[in-house]
Amino acid sequence: MNQALSPSTVLLVVAAFVVAALPHLTAMPGWLALAIVAAAVWRALVALLDLPRPGWLVRSALTFGGLALVIMHYGTLWGRRAATVLLCVMVAAKLSEMFRLRDARVVATLGYFLIATQFLFSQQLLLFGYLLIGCALVTAALVRIQRDADKISPPADDGAPGGIRVARLARDGTLLMLMAIPFALVMFTLFPRLGSPLWGMPENALDGRTGLSDEMSPGTIADLFVDDSPAFRAEFDGLVPPREQLYWRGPVLWRFDGRTWSRLFYSNRAPERTPRPDRNAFAYSVQMEPSERRWLFALDYPVGAPADARLSADFELIRKRPVTTLISYDVISQPDFRDAPELQQTLRRIALHLPEGSNPRTRQRAEALRRRYPEDEALIDAVLEWFNQEEFFYSLETAPLGRHGADEFLFDLRVGYCEYYASAFVVLMRAAGIPARIVTGYQGGLWQPSDGYLLVRQSDAHAWAEVWLEGRGWTRVDPTAAVSPSRIEEGARSALSDSAGWFGTEWLYQLRNQYDRLQNLWNKSILGFDAQRQRDFLARIGLDGLSIGARAAVLVALAAIVLVPLVLLTQGLARWVRNTDRLDRAWQRVRRRLQRAGMRPGRGETPLELAARSTDSLANADELITLAEKYSALKYGPVGSLGEIARFDAESAGWRPYRLNPRRSKQSQ
Amino acid sequence: MSSSRSSTKRAFPEAGLAALVDAAQRWLDGWIRRRGPIHPPLTLGYRQIYILPTRFGWLVGLLLFAMLLGSLNFNNNLGLFTTFLVSGIGLLSMHIAHRNLDGVRIAAVVPGQTFAGETLPLAITLQDTRGRARSGLVAEIRGADAADGSDLPSSASADLKISIATEERGWRELPRIRLRTRHPIGWFEAWSWFWPAQRVLVWPRPAEHAPPLATSGNSDDRSRTGDESDEFHGLRDWREGDPLHRIAWKASQRHQHLLARQFTRPERERIVLRLTDAPGRTLEERISIMTRWVLEADRCDLEYGLELGSANLPPGRGEAHRVSCLDALAALG
Repeated sequence: MNQALSPSTVLLVVAAFVVAALPHLTAMPGWLALAIVAAAVWRALVALLDLPRPGWLVRSALTFGGLALVIMHYGTLWGRRAATVLLCVMVAAKLSEMFRLRDARVVATLGYFLIATQFLFSQQLLLFGYLLIGCALVTAALVRIQRDADKISPPADDGAPGGIRVARLARDGTLLMLMAIPFALVMFTLFPRLGSPLWGMPENALDGRTGLSDEMSPGTIADLFVDDSPAFRAEFDGLVPPREQLYWRGPVLWRFDGRTWSRLFYSNRAPERTPRPDRNAFAYSVQMEPSERRWLFALDYPVGAPADARLSADFELIRKRPVTTLISYDVISQPDFRDAPELQQTLRRIALHLPEGSNPRTRQRAEALRRRYPEDEALIDAVLEWFNQEEFFYSLETAPLGRHGADEFLFDLRVGYCEYYASAFVVLMRAAGIPARIVTGYQGGLWQPSDGYLLVRQSDAHAWAEVWLEGRGWTRVDPTAAVSPSRIEEGARSALSDSAGWFGTEWLYQLRNQYDRLQNLWNKSILGFDAQRQRDFLARIGLDGLSIGARAAVLVALAAIVLVPLVLLTQGLARWVRNTDRLDRAWQRVRRRLQRAGMRPGRGETPLELAARSTDSLANADELITLAEKYSALKYGPVGSLGEIARFDAESAGWRPYRLNPRRSKQSQ
Repeated sequence: MSSSRSSTKRAFPEAGLAALVDAAQRWLDGWIRRRGPIHPPLTLGYRQIYILPTRFGWLVGLLLFAMLLGSLNFNNNLGLFTTFLVSGIGLLSMHIAHRNLDGVRIAAVVPGQTFAGETLPLAITLQDTRGRARSGLVAEIRGADAADGSDLPSSASADLKISIATEERGWRELPRIRLRTRHPIGWFEAWSWFWPAQRVLVWPRPAEHAPPLATSGNSDDRSRTGDESDEFHGLRDWREGDPLHRIAWKASQRHQHLLARQFTRPERERIVLRLTDAPGRTLEERISIMTRWVLEADRCDLEYGLELGSANLPPGRGEAHRVSCLDALAALG
């Protein structure tokens, strides 16, 4: 079984692999991606230029070297990213020994798998295009490999330029894939889904592109601001909260070590009391993009936790498993609620704690303020007034802070964004004896009026403060709003618009918003389709309550109904499009040439009649008569062999009509 | 003693297995025969077409199952869609493989000629009866390597070439032939079995070392110049005494002197090859040597005849004569 691969097959297999691995390549370290692409290009060159094949030493060095590099970089093979990168590396290494049909088949088939694994990371609308193109190419490669396996010689007229030839190779695969789409849709809709997963997703995708972390040190959210990708989308039933209430609550941070804010483990307990929804409550559902974290976001204050999640004492929503795919959850939030009217002593101590000897100037300032404003509310107002009146600026371009972060920021730097303000504000509050903590999350969002949903991007990440006031409990204070009201009104973009062109021009921004509407539709209708939605759908078309067996029967029947006529239709279509018959194609060419020479074939005129008529106007009518006779014999006589048809094709291709007397025909017109 | 017993023990199940396989094979053959027409010319329909996944197809199925489980588990909808799309492609490929054979007419099986020990070429003429172009048709025979595949244009015919190993001279039945296709992507194989209802004559194997041809005494290759009734041989300078009509006037025009046309009558050897003359202990050895002689005589363009005892062939020359001589030798005994 030592069958050879033709160079065009190798090219197609390599192309299919590169396309299938493309999103993986962009996610892995650049040098590794480069190495994989280099391996693919080298394999293509070996096929094209007939270079020598690598020895086993080189091949095993590639395989084990690749394995070692992946382990070195990721530190593990467990985890989606490391595993898929390893798969890419191994397939690239396989390319170096892909000289048999079997190996080519393995590489091509793994292309399907690579495509499927990409969706563990993202299921964006754009990636659907990647799915289709990738599958078409892999299928085309498999078609080519099968042609090579059957040792079918390529057609003789293969002198077409490279691009056309590749397109012709990909055609069969594309057609096959297009025909399979209706079947896939039926299965997608009707195939029974799992209500709950059988096993969990390995954590630590290690992609870096994660949502909010459960820690904060000023300067870390900054990379989220430039990340314009959606964090989640919210659709409200009924009341839509006003903009100043759109504080999407995430991790609540208590502990401060002078640099980093972190969560309190004690917060994980259940809340002592939960709000009771009334007429002012907001009910909404959130479609959350994968964040690799366990945080769900809700407006103040969630009444309860959605399934799969729980509510913490700080009214954080914590999911059982990290959000690794698009998920959807429903929440009800009650804005009027008193969070912790009594503050436990332990908690008060933590909420007042500052590292020893840090930020002396801030403490000084706090003491001075305390002396002037014995009332907590007045003190807070004074601080916000201070932020507002003095030379404080809101900007994403700022300097990192050192040991006395609050001092440096409040008295020297005075340029920063929400994290800087929230952090310095809470330090100041604690120094003044007011219990305070930091809440991180998202603020605001873009209202998409036509589709009625609120789009919250990663760049809407925000940090604000909560102070505990006697009689009012934990109260939200957003120092950033005091400095830059527009940040709250318009979102982080207001700070960016004059500083850099990260988001591009206005129209580009608009375009992205429009694209997000499509993405939202996609998420809701395709990605959000799960066991529950399937049940609803089946109920709507009256197929609910069927037993598994009956459902399977319906599935099979529908699949067959979709599949079989499609095969017939497309095959007929393909014949019509291509006019498959080489014989007819050849004769059509002759007719076209005759038409160009001024001889219009009459309606219902047989080839022989046409040829006979041409004797008046053509100098080489006898040749045409011979051609017409041959055509008729091949077409209507006993079936001709492939060789005869090919000969007729070649012969008629070389034939040109020569006019007998061009001038006379002109006069006669 | 003990070793021989153990060897018989070992041979026993093997023999049993072989018998079992043989029985199964016979039963399968019978079943196929009962299902419908199996001798060309025949048009393949659903009764003749069988289809199963290939080994590669099973492996892909396994991969798809893994993809299905993974996607279902994570409710990964695009992953699920990919899985269903690829499964759809697989199911379509099954339909296409079946339709690729459906309506193919096996018009004829034309055997070529061969010597025992060499391979016998067969040309299988296929025709399309449904106006559909077919791709990737391959003919196979058990125990032989698959031959090159071929495409079949719509409403046309194509020849599939295949070869069978031969061992003995004489009439032989053609084996069961398998026409298969794995078009388009090799996950499913559709096939049909058919038996060509004809016998072929395998020529004897020519002996490698044969005594030189026993040519008769006057075996000189000289030619004598002849008269006009003989073949035209060439031109020579005109000599006195040559008749005027022998002068090649046209050719002479181009030369300074006259040229005359010359005729020759080739003198050919006429020999008779006798089976009794051929050395060798067995009949087969002698037939083998006779075969070599026939080939030699044909190569030297001699006029030769055969005396085989039961059958005699008068001397002759040329391709047809060679074939009838070899046929006579092949069918002997």
